[in-house]
Amino acid sequence: MPLQLKNTQALLYRLVTASGGVAEGLERERGLPRGGLGAVIGGDSRITAAARLSIYANMYFFRLLEVLKDDFSAVAAAVGAADFHNLVTGYLTKYPPTEASVFWAGRYLADYLRTGPIRHKVPYLADLAALERAIIEVFCARDTAVLDARAMRATVPERWPSVRMRGIAALQVIETQWRVALALRTFSAGRKFKAPARGSSTILIWRRDAKVFFREIDAFEARAIAKLRRGAGFGAICASFVGKSAARDPVAAINAMLARWLRDGIVADARFARAGAKLDARERRGIARS
Amino acid sequence: MFQRADFPFLGFGVGLRRPHYAHILKRHPEIDWFEIISENFMVAGGRPLEVLDAVRAQYPVVMHGVSMSIGSTDALDLAYLRGLRALSRRTTPAWISDHLCWSGASGHRLHDLLPLPHNEETVRHVAARIRRAQEILERHILIENVSSYLTFRASTMTEWEFVRAVAEEADCGILLDINNIFVNAFNHRFSAEEYIDAIPSERVVQFHLAGHSDHGDYLLDTHDHPIRDGVWALYAHAVRRFDAVSTLIEWDDNIPAFAVLAAAARRARRIHDSFQEQPTNIHAASA
Repeated sequence: MPLQLKNTQALLYRLVTASGGVAEGLERERGLPRGGLGAVIGGDSRITAAARLSIYANMYFFRLLEVLKDDFSAVAAAVGAADFHNLVTGYLTKYPPTEASVFWAGRYLADYLRTGPIRHKVPYLADLAALERAIIEVFCARDTAVLDARAMRATVPERWPSVRMRGIAALQVIETQWRVALALRTFSAGRKFKAPARGSSTILIWRRDAKVFFREIDAFEARAIAKLRRGAGFGAICASFVGKSAARDPVAAINAMLARWLRDGIVADARFARAGAKLDARERRGIARS
Repeated sequence: MFQRADFPFLGFGVGLRRPHYAHILKRHPEIDWFEIISENFMVAGGRPLEVLDAVRAQYPVVMHGVSMSIGSTDALDLAYLRGLRALSRRTTPAWISDHLCWSGASGHRLHDLLPLPHNEETVRHVAARIRRAQEILERHILIENVSSYLTFRASTMTEWEFVRAVAEEADCGILLDINNIFVNAFNHRFSAEEYIDAIPSERVVQFHLAGHSDHGDYLLDTHDHPIRDGVWALYAHAVRRFDAVSTLIEWDDNIPAFAVLAAAARRARRIHDSFQEQPTNIHAASA
């Protein structure tokens, strides 16, 4: 590997990403050759070597600022342009991009906000960022065939308890300390961002027909969804509702939940359909023997 | 071995961009082909791949990447290249291209296209990496000349000598960005026509046309303006020199209605057609 090229690229990387700009980066840079930056980069009367490198520094920062503003539009609206600018500066210093695609640039923003200085000023921001990030990830998650009511009806109800169910790939659940789902829904509808109320919530985020949806779920459904994502049996999933005091009729509650899941399209087709097909085949053999 | 004849003439296309998805899928506008930004579709599933499948069912598609970082001194990103190969198997593009630049160092990414010193050492370094990338991708790729705002003291050759040397040593094709040549000619005070005249015609598969911003002391390759007259004039020069080369209109910011891009593609076609009456067989001329 060409050492000179390696050193040059490492130097330029440090200067382009210096949080205070190229001039500040040059002040604390220890890897400059004799002759300074001018010995590496050509400058002229129109524009100096440092100014030329600053063009790249600006493009680096503002490109990522735009990407993050696009990915976290509610976070940006919540804090305003100046604070978002500063927030991104700090974030990129702590979490510089390492992946080939800008898709991953905001992967750690919620983590950063959870521990960064802005958490004192805007304590709900990390939760809001976590929800916006989950939406992005669900949007591009793997496609999964979705179980529909017709496929489910093809399996006799007596067999359902033993059938294993699996959630679709485009499905996430996040826990928050602030009611950010309502705040984001209101903002996404075109209204001015309004700070969320404090309060624990569990939010289900999923994709159906290329659109991403999210809603708060209660503790019973959260337990059921966790089992669904692990590929548990339908009986085990239903057991999540034991003790749901709000439901006078647990069976009705389970049926309502299942109908909702089928409507939302969050149950994968493969396992259920396969299990149903096997059962049907055994039944057919039984019928043939009789 | 790279053969120019292996790459079809696709005509006059535009970049596939999100604001136009609905229009394209609903209206099936008259356009010869689309270029995708590869990284936008290197995802597991969902809407982007649905759109891509629908578009490629109707139009020829080529893949244009921004993250190969072929000039970096970091190790080649094999996971990225395998992801690119997987997308190419799904998409079956007419070709794959990326930039003659570096975009990361020390394991980090700049998400920008930085220029390289133009010298023999860099030629050997980059050409070896392009050859390796071509092995992984199981095809010859195109490399694109980038716009730049700085030059290196370590350069010992002109940019066009560098582009030519890399393409020949790597045995790859060239995507010639006419706007980038125009921008660099202003920023670094050289003749854009001399640049174009020195590029080996037998390796040029595609042209890019785009808009730039004038910052007084320098031009910035922003892809957010209409193509300037000077770039159109340089394109005419290139068309005369290179004969039939697939041409693409790039527009990445402040993206206008699809009709504006389609009109630019039609203008490129008119320029191309105006020279077809007395075509220059550059392959014969440069032999």
